[in-house]
Amino acid sequence: MLLHARHTLALAILGVSALTLTACAPAETSGGSASPIDGGTLTYASGDAEPTCLDPHVGGNYPQALVATQYLESLVSLDDSGTPIPWLAESWTEAEDGLSWEFTLRDDVEFTDGTPLNSAAVAANIAHVQDPATGSSTGYLAVGKVTSVDEVSDTVVRLNLSSPDSALLESLSQTWVAIQSPTALERGDEVNCESPVGTGPFVVTAWDRQNSITLDRNENYNSAPADAEGDGPYLDQIVWRFVPDSATRYAALASGEVDVIDNAQPDTLVAAAKDDALDELDAPRPGASNRLELNSGKAPFDDIRVREAFARSAAVNDGIESLFFGTADRSYSALSSVEALGISDEDLFTFDADKANELLDDAGWTERDANGIRTKNGETLSLAFPVSTNQSIPAEQSLFEQIQATTKEVGFDVELEPMDLSSWYAALAADDYDLVSAPYTKVGPDVLRILYHSDGITPAPSGYFANHAKSNLPELDELLTQASQVTDVAERTQLYADAQQIVLDGYYIVPLFDQQNHYLFRSDVKGLRALPTVYTPTFAEAWLDR
Amino acid sequence: MTFVAASPTTTRPRASATQWVAARLGGLVVVLWAAATLTFFALRLIPGDPAEALLGGPGSQASEEALDTARREFGLDQPLLIQYLSQLGRYITLDFGTSYSLKQPVTSVIGEQIGGTLVLAALALALAWALALGVAVWSAQSGRVAAALGSALEVVAVALPHFWLASSLVLLFSTTLGWLPPLSGRSPAGLILPVVTLAIPLAGFLGQVMRESLLNAMSSPFVLSARTRGETSAGVIWRHALRHAALPAIGLSGWAFGNLVSGAVVVETIFARPGLGRTLLTAVQARDVPLVTGIVLVVALAYSVVTTLTDVLDRAADPRLRTEVQA
Repeated sequence: MLLHARHTLALAILGVSALTLTACAPAETSGGSASPIDGGTLTYASGDAEPTCLDPHVGGNYPQALVATQYLESLVSLDDSGTPIPWLAESWTEAEDGLSWEFTLRDDVEFTDGTPLNSAAVAANIAHVQDPATGSSTGYLAVGKVTSVDEVSDTVVRLNLSSPDSALLESLSQTWVAIQSPTALERGDEVNCESPVGTGPFVVTAWDRQNSITLDRNENYNSAPADAEGDGPYLDQIVWRFVPDSATRYAALASGEVDVIDNAQPDTLVAAAKDDALDELDAPRPGASNRLELNSGKAPFDDIRVREAFARSAAVNDGIESLFFGTADRSYSALSSVEALGISDEDLFTFDADKANELLDDAGWTERDANGIRTKNGETLSLAFPVSTNQSIPAEQSLFEQIQATTKEVGFDVELEPMDLSSWYAALAADDYDLVSAPYTKVGPDVLRILYHSDGITPAPSGYFANHAKSNLPELDELLTQASQVTDVAERTQLYADAQQIVLDGYYIVPLFDQQNHYLFRSDVKGLRALPTVYTPTFAEAWLDR
Repeated sequence: MTFVAASPTTTRPRASATQWVAARLGGLVVVLWAAATLTFFALRLIPGDPAEALLGGPGSQASEEALDTARREFGLDQPLLIQYLSQLGRYITLDFGTSYSLKQPVTSVIGEQIGGTLVLAALALALAWALALGVAVWSAQSGRVAAALGSALEVVAVALPHFWLASSLVLLFSTTLGWLPPLSGRSPAGLILPVVTLAIPLAGFLGQVMRESLLNAMSSPFVLSARTRGETSAGVIWRHALRHAALPAIGLSGWAFGNLVSGAVVVETIFARPGLGRTLLTAVQARDVPLVTGIVLVVALAYSVVTTLTDVLDRAADPRLRTEVQA
């Protein structure tokens, strides 16, 4: 039994199961209760880094979103098709000029410290995210256009914007701008980091650093998003553990010591497919696909012919097939497959060594050195490729090695440089790269503006910049700016399609696959689903059939 | 630090007890200073801005303002030499500062995590001693084949990398047999696999040294004389020869402790066990200068204490070292 966000992947995995499962009967659970059972403790083992702060306003990364999904909630959520649906806000309207939005809040919700949810609470949260002292980076971007907040009434709050923002609802659905108790926020970040207070189905009751976070059931929970089924939470408690080693995590799951694991790697997914006691939840992250970004800001990738030659000579499909065992599908899109507005263009990326050779000859890389690497005016065709070992899983790093090998055939010299996160960011800031793979999670197609608008070339004070491809096209900037302001669905869809086509046609990127996000769980864990916002699993409706 | 010479013929001139203590304390200060200095400069030479570590880690999109405030607050805008000296100054007053990434006092982070690592290291050292002694005595008693076998076992054990051993033990005892939990956490049962992982390579090392000196001792004249007095061979080993065999291994236990702490980085990560090793790993990745330096200092201190203890034990085990010869 596979719970799947993407059907194609389900088929791929079933294919693997069919090949390998010769002796086993179909994994149909026999017996078991049909209606949810109250109670029990669920143990979750996370392979992500332990957050240094449990309040996702502070900083704002995926590990924080994973755990915070269990105790914090947002103003809006999204349904499976990406359409905004009510959550803490029951309705909303955009002003004619697009420069303000009014949200009507539910009037019956309390934070778990007894503070009521009202417009003042929302205002305090936006202020907290926007306060430089909080150090929010993800949430800060999400509410970047909000200039002020008016408390129209106790339950109506108005956000005033600097320019229309078609991505506002998608941005607000993210856990990084979840709404917390203003009373709890007043305690200061040091305390709030240890025990943030929200309206969610669970409450943070203990944090034993390096070991586990304990989450207890919120007995007064009444604020599920509009698409929730059932009447959870059912679990008494979640023990959230940190288990960095992939093999240990899987061993703990297989032995029943833990009930759910994240960051399941291709080899464990294949092993789990053969185990009747285990199920999989595949929840590709939203935002950008995993892709190689080619630095068009300097030679040799400032020449589109060289970029295309690289894309055509990288045997990505063969690599994915042999290294991911059918657990990942090749992407031909700048966006994740969960993004409804994503477009794909397979023909641009079909493997064609002859064409690659022709393009490189055309571009003047006609000589070869003793190692078969092409040269031009004494320069060799070498490409610096810094690889973040924190962000690229082992299978992906092996894929990069295969790409290195196949592009060498046509005369590229890819220099893979594995490094830790700080060194990797430093290499990017110093422009010491020709290609790079940098995941970027954000809800909605507005991620394109962050990644490919020329504004993204200018580094933040820390040296960070998001436009690694250094795409600098007025036409593309215009499309992305327009798209970010147009709320008409058809028009927005067209603008984003045009923008993506430019990015793909220009070979600024080589798409690889969705940002992998696989969960494995014991088959007696029921009611688990990924929230279609940032695709973190929610245990609001989960129960144990044992 | 001090390797006690294994040869039984060595006689070193020994200083008086006060001089010995003074020299020890002086050595300790030098070790701590060197550790703090090396850590400080090593962390500044690798890429990564500590101000970013303060504001959400690498890739932070903090504003120039926020970065400047953080730099001023933590003195990161000062010249490196000034920063180094003022950090040394704070350490002298026992002020270890606040962790950049965890925003908690370094002393309380270390206080929270040190227990787990010390228990792990102490148990692993004890088990390694027991294993090494067992194999050494058995192979010394049981003839040539046993000696060769013991020696082979030790060589293999020494060569086993912690990460491989840990994964193999999980596969055997957790996945296949289901006897022990793969996750360590804070449970006593969870301690078994991490302790065994750390103890096996160390036992191989200690065993090599022990068996060699045990065999040497067994062929010494005093063993022959003991035998002529009618001692059984077990009696000879336990009452006479073992003391000799233990000497070099005691000396190595200081080194072994350091080895265990570095092994703890791997083992704590694989078995998901709270402790200093895991904290150190994440602190280095986050460029958390105060926390890394704090942990390094604590480990250096522990290492010095253990080495001193082994010297004291040496004196207890070896009467020759107690004869005071004024230099």
